[in-house]
Amino acid sequence: METTMQTIFIQGAISTTMVAQSIQRYATDMAIGAHSCFIGQVRADLVEGKEVVAIEYTAYQAMADEQLQILAADIYKRYTLNGIIVKHSLGMVAAGEICLLVLAVAGHRRAAMDACGELVDRIKNELPIWGKEYFAGDGYQWKINQ
Amino acid sequence: MVNGTLSLQFFGRLMDLTGCSTVSVPMVGDTDELRQRLFEQYPALREATYVVAVDRKIVRQNTPLTEAAEIALLPPFSGG
Repeated sequence: METTMQTIFIQGAISTTMVAQSIQRYATDMAIGAHSCFIGQVRADLVEGKEVVAIEYTAYQAMADEQLQILAADIYKRYTLNGIIVKHSLGMVAAGEICLLVLAVAGHRRAAMDACGELVDRIKNELPIWGKEYFAGDGYQWKINQ
Repeated sequence: MVNGTLSLQFFGRLMDLTGCSTVSVPMVGDTDELRQRLFEQYPALREATYVVAVDRKIVRQNTPLTEAAEIALLPPFSGG
């Protein structure tokens, strides 16, 4: 399986350059007809009148990377993909910045889109990563995924 | 009771509840005993939601522990 992943983790926000480079990476594979990309961005939620200004991500990195490999191998095979790229931020990411990049590439759009959707859901549900939402001024809360 | 210690890691909200990210506890034989010991040491854990991972795998049933085991307590995930 072709993946870029020694680790999925990037310190701080994911740059749009990194998103572009991830897409460019598959330009030489002529069997590919579809990229499906999910980009997660830190939202300035309002919690009881307080605005979320940043999320600090921490992870059980070794376990998360192992879990992702297992998950990606499963999805790669089931959807007959040509490639998967996953990047997740660690540390502080400000509202408006990118914290998650998932790219699934395949011969046809349906496989790429379905695989990307399943990857995002399972990354959120199955990888030991935690977000701590900081409020403007003072205070924080531990993020809860819906 | 066996000699030795176990090392554990706390993540996310559990770091707030216990006040630390890693801790060593006297050796216990399995994850049920470990939970009991942790409840005594950190009463706030009784109210917390978490799963135990041993050697980077989530264990749902009572699991034997060795001194070399990599043990972690994981609250609900909130990545992405």
